[in-house]
Amino acid sequence: MDRKSTDDSITSRMSWPIVLWLSGFLDQPEQEAVLGDLTEDGKNGGGAIAEVLGLVVRRRTAVLLDLRLWLAVAFVILPVSYLLCAIAQTTAGMGAVYSWMYLNNWDWALARNPGFWHALGEIAVSFGITCFVLACWSWSAGFLIGRLPKVIVRASRNILIVLLAAAFQLDAPGHIIHFLISLHGLPLRPSLPDYNAPVTGNVFYRAFFPWISLAILVILPAFSGIRQANRSLLLTLKMRVVLVSAAAGSLLIMLIHAPGFGLLLGAPQRDWLWRNRNAMQALLLLSCWPMFYFIAIRFGRRGLPKAVMTQ
Amino acid sequence: MYYIVMQMVGEFEYLILSSAARLGTNAYGASIRSEIEKATGRRCSIGALYTTLDRLEVKGFVRTWMGEPTSERGGRSKRLVQVTATGVKEASHFFRAIARISKGVSWTENRLTTR
Repeated sequence: MDRKSTDDSITSRMSWPIVLWLSGFLDQPEQEAVLGDLTEDGKNGGGAIAEVLGLVVRRRTAVLLDLRLWLAVAFVILPVSYLLCAIAQTTAGMGAVYSWMYLNNWDWALARNPGFWHALGEIAVSFGITCFVLACWSWSAGFLIGRLPKVIVRASRNILIVLLAAAFQLDAPGHIIHFLISLHGLPLRPSLPDYNAPVTGNVFYRAFFPWISLAILVILPAFSGIRQANRSLLLTLKMRVVLVSAAAGSLLIMLIHAPGFGLLLGAPQRDWLWRNRNAMQALLLLSCWPMFYFIAIRFGRRGLPKAVMTQ
Repeated sequence: MYYIVMQMVGEFEYLILSSAARLGTNAYGASIRSEIEKATGRRCSIGALYTTLDRLEVKGFVRTWMGEPTSERGGRSKRLVQVTATGVKEASHFFRAIARISKGVSWTENRLTTR
């Protein structure tokens, strides 16, 4: 075998795994057809990689020309990502402070005090509920995104992650609240000493903990919601409408509880919210509807009424 | 007065429709690409072919389905293509329009005089 054919053979052996990996980005039937065409043509090396890469790029960029994607970004993904980021920031901040207090500064002398455990229990329950509600809101957001037209779901999910990360990194909620305060002509808060400096001074709590919170309380539940939205296609149309309405209602409740929401309202509306704050807190229970959905699904495996199932 | 919006097939779509019609039951991705490359003398990319096939299928000009796997394709199926009646009508409309508009133009006349 001469040198050129040896080189070609080595190139083809090295390139085919890349071709296989790239073709994984295509839908399964198309992947099979394309790999079969390349095999039949005897195409290998850089040519085969270029062919598959070209098709993958065309498929992925075609969705960017879909108007429905940009409508979804403007009316669903952008506002949802902002709200989730704002609440996740607050939650992560709380979590960092509590973790620093009880983990980094554990004192066995305090642990012998019953009052310490009472306070710890209260904080754990309250913070646990906050995290659970945030996860439910993230799940609802994912469910709504999963119910978008199928061709734009994957791109919508990716844009959601990018917007969440960007908003988190750039502190978008802080800037927008700052803007709303100045829009109302209100005096800006004077800069005060950072009372959480011992917490933010710790590089783990400053740099890593917020991103870990975002991943566990927002991104993973959102992905689960998207997956469940796909599975909800087995349900009847009525049930799907009920679920989408529940998800949308849950996100409206999230809007009411988002930091800075009061700045969007007039004084009478703010006053009304303050007087009905207990009812507003009770609405958080409705936000936990994904928990009831999962319980219903669990019972459904034992046989749901045919009224809610299509198969 | 009626305004008719004419959406004719594109030139690459026409090449695919013609190749598929000529190949008949043997019309699939690789064979259509081969026909187009022989006719045009230019490379036809897999990306351009499959995205255009999707467009033609959405328009109702072709029907595609996955065929049986074959050993020459490493045990992989092929995407078979059949031109529909609508596709035949649109392709012939395109051909007649090209033939009409090409009458008397220099490159068709040169071709006749050089024979």
